[in-house]
Amino acid sequence: MKRRKRLSYAKYGYMFSIPFVVAFLLFSLYPTLYTMVIGFMGAKGLDTAMWTSLDNPFQNYITILTNKSFQQSIGNTLWIWMMNFIPQILLALLLTAWFTTRRTKLKGQGFFKVIFYMPNIITAATIAILFSTFFGYPMGPVNDLIVRFGFVDSPINFIIDKTVSQVIVAFIQFWMWYGYTMLILISGVLGISPDIFEAADIDGANTFQQFFGITLPNIRTILIYTLVTSLIGGLNMFDIPRLYLNGGPAGSTTTASLFIYNQAFAGSYMYGRASAASMIMFVIIVLASLLLFWLMRDKDEVAQNKMMKQNRKAQALADKTAGGRGLL
Amino acid sequence: MTKVSSRNGSIAFKIFAYTLCILLTILSIFPFLIMFINATRSTYEIQQSAVTLIPGTDLLNNFDVYTGKTFNPFQGFVNSMIISIGATALNIYFSTLTAYALVAYNWRARGAFFSIIMGVMMIPAQVTSIGFYQFMYQIGMVNNFLALILPAMAAPATVFFMRQYMVANLPMDLLEAARIDGSREFSTFNRIVLPIMKPAMATQAIFSFVGNWNALFLPLILLTNNSNYTMPIMVSLLKGDIYKTEYGAVYLGLSLTVLPLFVVYFLLSKYIIAGVALGGVKG
Amino acid sequence: MKKRILTAVLSVAMIASLAACTGGDAATTTPAPSGDAPAADAPATPDAPAPSADGKTVLNIMSFTVEVPDMFTKYFEVYPDRAEKYELNTTIIATTDGAYQPALDQALATGGTTAPDLYCAEAAFIIKYTKGDMSSYAAPYKDLGIDVDALITAGDIAQYTVDIGSNPAGDVVGLGYQATGGAFIYRSSLAIDTWGTDDAATIGSKIGPGWDKFFEAAAELKAKGYGIVSGDGDIWHPIENSSSTGWIVDGKLTISPERREFFDLSMKLMEGGYHNDTQDWNEAWMGDMKGVGAQPIFGYFGPAWLINYTIAPNCGGTAPGEGTYGDWRVCEPTGGFFWGGTWLLASATSPNKEAIGDFIEWVTLDTSDTGLQYYWANGTMVAGTVGTKDTVASGTVMSKSNGDMEFLGGQNMFDIFVPANQFANGSNLTQYDETINGYYRDAVRQYTSGTATIDDAIAWFKQQVADNLDVIVE
Repeated sequence: MKRRKRLSYAKYGYMFSIPFVVAFLLFSLYPTLYTMVIGFMGAKGLDTAMWTSLDNPFQNYITILTNKSFQQSIGNTLWIWMMNFIPQILLALLLTAWFTTRRTKLKGQGFFKVIFYMPNIITAATIAILFSTFFGYPMGPVNDLIVRFGFVDSPINFIIDKTVSQVIVAFIQFWMWYGYTMLILISGVLGISPDIFEAADIDGANTFQQFFGITLPNIRTILIYTLVTSLIGGLNMFDIPRLYLNGGPAGSTTTASLFIYNQAFAGSYMYGRASAASMIMFVIIVLASLLLFWLMRDKDEVAQNKMMKQNRKAQALADKTAGGRGLL
Repeated sequence: MTKVSSRNGSIAFKIFAYTLCILLTILSIFPFLIMFINATRSTYEIQQSAVTLIPGTDLLNNFDVYTGKTFNPFQGFVNSMIISIGATALNIYFSTLTAYALVAYNWRARGAFFSIIMGVMMIPAQVTSIGFYQFMYQIGMVNNFLALILPAMAAPATVFFMRQYMVANLPMDLLEAARIDGSREFSTFNRIVLPIMKPAMATQAIFSFVGNWNALFLPLILLTNNSNYTMPIMVSLLKGDIYKTEYGAVYLGLSLTVLPLFVVYFLLSKYIIAGVALGGVKG
Repeated sequence: MKKRILTAVLSVAMIASLAACTGGDAATTTPAPSGDAPAADAPATPDAPAPSADGKTVLNIMSFTVEVPDMFTKYFEVYPDRAEKYELNTTIIATTDGAYQPALDQALATGGTTAPDLYCAEAAFIIKYTKGDMSSYAAPYKDLGIDVDALITAGDIAQYTVDIGSNPAGDVVGLGYQATGGAFIYRSSLAIDTWGTDDAATIGSKIGPGWDKFFEAAAELKAKGYGIVSGDGDIWHPIENSSSTGWIVDGKLTISPERREFFDLSMKLMEGGYHNDTQDWNEAWMGDMKGVGAQPIFGYFGPAWLINYTIAPNCGGTAPGEGTYGDWRVCEPTGGFFWGGTWLLASATSPNKEAIGDFIEWVTLDTSDTGLQYYWANGTMVAGTVGTKDTVASGTVMSKSNGDMEFLGGQNMFDIFVPANQFANGSNLTQYDETINGYYRDAVRQYTSGTATIDDAIAWFKQQVADNLDVIVE
């Protein structure tokens, strides 16, 4: 009797997942499998009739892994991602702390919260145009300023310098996404029951103690979400590197995604290689994400266990009620 | 710690905080300002110097260029609205529902299902979309808005977010209480869970709406009939002219494209500003 | 999720191209091993002209701008009987983000009643459609009922446009209406200050032929405080097009001596201070058109459209005496070249070959006063208005048209551009050019800016080509 009740609730889990599964099967699964398959083929050129099978099905993988430009693009991607993500998450956390603390109310924080997300509203193409104008050489606003104020004697060619270009790309990414990250974190904090903070107030915990002792642990699940999605998004970084300098100068802003794009569209239509490179990136992303989950594991597990305990309690309660009232 | 030093600390903190916030505000508003100002300037003025704070006098001229093309900007607005609202609504509702299935029920395939969702999210988009356009072409969904709306039902990232949010914020006792009151599972979800999820839904709705509104490539190749164009497609057509680009009209087009986003964003942003309390939780 | 939307972009482009070619000839399509062969089950519908509701035949047109579709308006005006027989179904997809080609490829490959009867390609990707991967989809003009060889001779059609528009079998499958042969466009006032004359023939013999003379002129201009060009991109087009071979010879990357010399010439410009070190299309490059850069710039290499659409709008005025308006002249370039252009192609499976052929002939080969090119050259596309005069493919049309331009101080630009179209070379192009040029110019910039030695820069360039393209690099 008890067992049957439990199952009767479990079925809702399946039922409620159906729309997602159907849409997923329809719109994602087929294309994904298709690409995986061509990664093991000599898929080259627009004419599929010319595609061949490979003597060594892993030939594309070997070619990509030994490709210097691919190795460099992975390095670029990680480097640009770290330069943008570390400041981004720190600033987002700082702002989240300021805007959610119950002590020092900053005036106009609603205004600030709304404004900071705005860089994310503009399309990447527009932002790329604005920034290339901004750092224009030999004439451009930044050069005009630094020459006028005597920092340098002659204009600096920002777009030929590899490191500067990487920093600018990282800065654009940082600037476009810190508001997004902040909003995600704030929505997490808003979900925390105010009772916990009230209790902490009564206990006399100060702002720092509250943030590190209550806020952070309670938004841990959301923090994991932020880290993982930023990682995935960062490793797939494409639009700004492509639109700002198209991967230049000297390939310094060519990210892995841009490399993959070039394999397929720079002129040779090497879909097999592009697909193999995509799958390699997939493996890298999975490994990096697993590492993140592992790093965050302890506390998450605690939360999980608590949840499960709660669930179990709830289930027991449900069984009791259901048993008492019969099947509804 | 004396009272005085603590007050000094507080003042120093405020100076620091406000300076930073104002700086970031300027950085945030700046591109919009440039965009709006350039919408009033002629193409020549923009080509000579794209960044200025002085408005020009060519707004009407730019408007004539923008509206003088073979497409109708108002139709574009309507099309963009249909696609963005449709996709956002499906994305938010079904992602929340899927997350609810993951959090509230203990079913055998749950762990595997969650892993699959995470895995889907990690496949680089280059891979996941391969075959999509071709598939749409084969089943005759070109020039059909549904091709851009229906896929929003399976949005792994949103499901992941909703799931993470629910794990932390959805009290299971509440659902129990609902069951005791005789509420059916589906109606519990609609009446009780959805309201609790409001801040999370609003946040994700903004992101989803912005993403769908600004989407260019997929609409560009799927919607080839000029009565189906979205606003970004129209701007891209202005830009796609090979020998001359009417930058004034492009910036005007960009400005007009972003205005509806502002409205939607500011409407939804009350959830971000006010911090809607979790009504169901307390007491 | 952060970058998904835009990364999706490229993947979709991928799909689209993947799918291309599979539907057109299903019988020869080899299924993928998994049986996942794309589009093989989308058979090309046997083609019968699709009449519209009011009995007109629908012509499907695919282009990246409204330019060619707009020509139909004029066409129907000139031939009202055709307006009663045909109507257009126009698909315009901008080249923004590379969206046009995947959609076109897919449409051509799938066939059926919505497949384009007529499609357009621009210089950046035309080779793919005439000689490259997509060439089998284009119908030879002679199959459209056009007496193509005779008309090309009669019209004195620019040879490079014919070379580019011929498929591997030697049949013409695409021609343009514009010709984009390049000249040197220079400032009269600086010429008079330096050499006491602005005569086109004299200036032409100062700056060329050959780069030695060009740099002698550069030194003389420098002595007066002028730069000869705005940036090294300006000399790239004539250097690129003067090459004896394309980038790829027998599947191998080949740096011809002419193109190899770009390293040295570019460095010479830099070291001599002969330019303002701008990059084409940047603000500073545009700024030099009205003379606001670090030093006044003598001229630009470019076709007529560069005068009309770029220099004129950026000259700082709209009448003689304002800005640099009226101060410009054109002369023969240091070396022949062309830059840009649009070609018209007809689908090999089109059921409306006759109608399309008639239109294509009117656009590309009709040299009469009611042919498109005559209107185009004289800027009279819209009756009663003065449009922009432009160079056209037919020398015959230009020789009877009036190319006097107020912007060029009354000079007849066709005097220069008719021969310029003949100097251009259409035989050294490959479908990889856009990408390889990008890498090459990046490599040269690394060298001239001092961040790499010439050997390192060339090694880097070769590495990029080897890593990103299916080209043998030795």
